Amino acid sequence: MSNQPPHVLLIEDNQGDADLVRLRLVEANSDLHVSCADRLSSGLASLTEEPPALVLLDLNLPDSKGAETFRKVLQKAAGVPVVVLSGRDDEQLAVNAVHQGAQDFLVKGAFDSKQLARAMRYAIERQALLTSLDISRKQQLQFKDQFLSHVSHELRTPLSCIHQFVTILLDELAGPVPPEQREHLETVLRSVNQLRTMIGDLLEATRAESGKLQIKPRCVALGNLIEQAAGMMRAAAQAKKIDLQVALDGQSPAVIADPERILQVLLNLLDNAIKFTPAEGSVVVRAHRAETEPNFAYVAVTDTGRGIPPESKALIFERLYQDAQVIENSRKGLGLGLYIAREIVRLHGGQIWAESQPGQGSTFTLTLPLFSLGKLLAPVITEQGRLRDALALVKVALIPKGALEAASAGEAGQRCRELLQACILPAKDLLLPDMRAAGPNQLFLIVASTDAAGAEVLSKRIREQLENCVELKASTSFTVSAEALSLPAPQDGKPVTAMVEEIADRITEVARAGNMRRA
Amino acid sequence: MTKPRILIVDDDPDLRRGLNLRLRANHYETSYATDGFSAVALAYKERPDLIILDLGLPAGDGFVVLERLQQSANLSCIPVIVLTARDPQSNREKTLKAGASAFFQKPVDNGKLLSAIRTTLAPGWPGTNSSA
Repeated sequence: MSNQPPHVLLIEDNQGDADLVRLRLVEANSDLHVSCADRLSSGLASLTEEPPALVLLDLNLPDSKGAETFRKVLQKAAGVPVVVLSGRDDEQLAVNAVHQGAQDFLVKGAFDSKQLARAMRYAIERQALLTSLDISRKQQLQFKDQFLSHVSHELRTPLSCIHQFVTILLDELAGPVPPEQREHLETVLRSVNQLRTMIGDLLEATRAESGKLQIKPRCVALGNLIEQAAGMMRAAAQAKKIDLQVALDGQSPAVIADPERILQVLLNLLDNAIKFTPAEGSVVVRAHRAETEPNFAYVAVTDTGRGIPPESKALIFERLYQDAQVIENSRKGLGLGLYIAREIVRLHGGQIWAESQPGQGSTFTLTLPLFSLGKLLAPVITEQGRLRDALALVKVALIPKGALEAASAGEAGQRCRELLQACILPAKDLLLPDMRAAGPNQLFLIVASTDAAGAEVLSKRIREQLENCVELKASTSFTVSAEALSLPAPQDGKPVTAMVEEIADRITEVARAGNMRRA
Repeated sequence: MTKPRILIVDDDPDLRRGLNLRLRANHYETSYATDGFSAVALAYKERPDLIILDLGLPAGDGFVVLERLQQSANLSCIPVIVLTARDPQSNREKTLKAGASAFFQKPVDNGKLLSAIRTTLAPGWPGTNSSA
């Protein structure tokens, strides 16, 4: 304890009990600064004003009862030790509070000054210990973060060098390479790529652990992502004579997801599936919807491998889990892939799990939130629970000059999106997420809370901005058009959400028509 | 026929040499700088058509170089591709905001880098659309 007289806050509504406690406090230690509160509200106010060294807390107060009282104190001052004062008949309440983090409890009228002093001293010491443990845990985590980020950065430079020179040899930039040497070089390259993935995983796992993993969700066509992932793994599947199939259920749903992150998850699941499936086996990726979870899309990766033993099923998503049986022709990884996959899916608000019968293969399923235009539109096109008076739709089409490479088309689209975002009023207008299918033209839709005249003004501003953007003008031309959106006729008793859905459908129609015209 | 000229900025000699070889094999002229200060000086002197820039550099890191280039009316039009060992989550957006055209983490896939170079180079270069 410090040299300043320690400040003790006593929160107790019964005057007699309060006086008794104060008497005991005086007996125990004259050098204490005690303040009293007879309600929780005034106690909490005093907690924030002048954090005490300790709180003596009666749980049943005029304005709060039982466990709730302790929870509120904990919320206000997490690091302050609390000793609960309990009545003879509600000891259980006090015991529960101790389970939730109170340092101790005393039964009123059943303690003397020595016991009180001891309880207080220990409470303060224990709390100090907890706090310092917590700080050192945080420091350790931060150090680990920095350490791994530093190490992975430093490892990448020599790795990059190996990668560059091996590919220089393989591409025969330094002269012809005989077949046997080529084979060896390809082995080196495979290992380099494996190492690269591991270094990436190491950093990702630490991030996931410290809650620093970030996702940038937007509206994406799930089918495209699956096709892309399968395309990237096809060569690996063929090399092992595994049949890799994609089975999409009708029109592939649009989901809210970070495409790069979900691609990473899919690649990981496919890589595992191929790794654990013997030659002549098959791996199938399915996407479907389920009635039980109408707001989610399901993706399932099914293999015909040897399956997961029941005792391992609970562990496979944990860090550093590795399959005990070494697979022939395959190297163990770090055991971080599924852990990272689970964290990424969780960040999306989805779930991931595995089902398996030993010897008969496994199915890994993940869920992703379905994209709902209505949900996105609602806050923009309604005001105080009513639909806005006028709405307009502004369409911007970006048309590439000549054949643009996919990468630069994406960049042009990104640039255009940024410009448009700057033109609109975020609270009243909404630039819809990318809903296009693959194709050369890009369509951007803005729902604006304005009438036809206002939409014309907005269109003019957009035209000027696009006109002035040198990067865009070099590679693309554009068209901008605006139209008023006809609003559903207000009917008695028709909920606003239904009207929002109607408008969402209309806009989806426009987007789809725009896509078809291109095709 | 003039070839597009690329300024490589990296403090690691082996990486410089490797990238140099790769780019020359794809019909680019190259020059190099090993620190931030000389990168900007060389950009003034040589007016390269494109700069490949590392972030961790002595004497002014990649961000300082990007800032200097952006500040100069003559140099701000030179496209910059960032090629770094640093992690994309905390650096990609930052470099793009600072004026870079593209961001790649080392080790980079050569196909992707070359394709980005082709699309980033101002149009009109012979070979801009040829495959490398």
